Amino acid sequence: MPEPATEGKAEAGEVRQEADRELVRRAQQGDKEAFEVLIRKHQGRVFAVAGGILHSREDVEDIAQQAFLKAYFSIKRFDQRAAFSTWLYKITVNECWDLLRKRKVRPLMYEADLSEEQAHTYQSREAGGENARDVSQQLEAREQVEEWLDCLEEKDRTMLVLKEVQGFTVEEIAGIMGLNGNTVKVRLFRARQRVAERIRRKKRAAGV
Amino acid sequence: MSETQRMGRPECDEVLNELEELKAGKMTPGEVLAALTGASNRHALECEECAHAIDEMVMTREALWPMKETQPEAGPWFAARVMAGVRAAEKEIEEKKEGLWISVRRLAPRLVAFAALLLVLGGTWAMELRHRESASGQAEVRQTEGLFESAPSAPLNDDIVASAGEGARQ
Repeated sequence: MPEPATEGKAEAGEVRQEADRELVRRAQQGDKEAFEVLIRKHQGRVFAVAGGILHSREDVEDIAQQAFLKAYFSIKRFDQRAAFSTWLYKITVNECWDLLRKRKVRPLMYEADLSEEQAHTYQSREAGGENARDVSQQLEAREQVEEWLDCLEEKDRTMLVLKEVQGFTVEEIAGIMGLNGNTVKVRLFRARQRVAERIRRKKRAAGV
Repeated sequence: MSETQRMGRPECDEVLNELEELKAGKMTPGEVLAALTGASNRHALECEECAHAIDEMVMTREALWPMKETQPEAGPWFAARVMAGVRAAEKEIEEKKEGLWISVRRLAPRLVAFAALLLVLGGTWAMELRHRESASGQAEVRQTEGLFESAPSAPLNDDIVASAGEGARQ
């Protein structure tokens, strides 16, 4: 029997999905306001999904916008068999992969990729501000993460980031990637092994 | 290792299944162990492979955590911008549809002139063809007539004999 907290969470999830279904129905009938509500509800996670795959903030914004546009123009064909969120995240992941495929190489994160606010802080690094140091450290840390993830295939990388950073469940990832839950678990397990091995090797090389 | 098995033993698989259920975020190995159910917790404390899997999970989460801190967030105007994009795209589609009709209308006088020219040329060609056909028909008739009007052939011997006989009777 599920614990009360889990049961409550599942119920909340069901209510959320029902609300989405209603909004989708309205959007399918051409209600733009309903679609705008859907955007506001899901924009955070769409950014999280795209942010886990792409480096640059501008790319993330562009892809998020493109994903919503694509969703808007194909919402009439969406049959609601899957949750709207799963369908939307799937579009986002595919858009990200398309962009990477077009570019072939994963671009590095540059100053130009930062938001205006972040760039401003970054530019004032010479002044030695605390925030500026934070941003530069964050950039270095992010580059380090990319190095760890470099050993993984694009699909495994996406799954690992969605699971360990963005907090998606195995079922959600399975829905987004079009895979079976068990396969997702196995691939996550192996991806973690590879990343951990890379970290260990680097630590050994550095004599830590 | 098969696609569905990770470490082989059912207890290990149970631990791994529970690990996958954990919420995202940085955790120490102790916190991970504490989050496991009784049986899995006891097993993980004794099983070297499970302890290793927990370490790997903790290590990976810690390594990937900076991603969360540098993760871009949607600005306050994002939804409005998307909707503006939607309206612009719809307008573009509408304009494309209208554009086709407008260009047809704009090109109408030229199309009419072109059609008229085609009609004149086609008519002239048809007339010419008809004229040529009738001319060649007349020539053919003339040729046939010529055949009939050619010099009569030399009289046959029988005709000569017959006319000679008639002359003798007279």
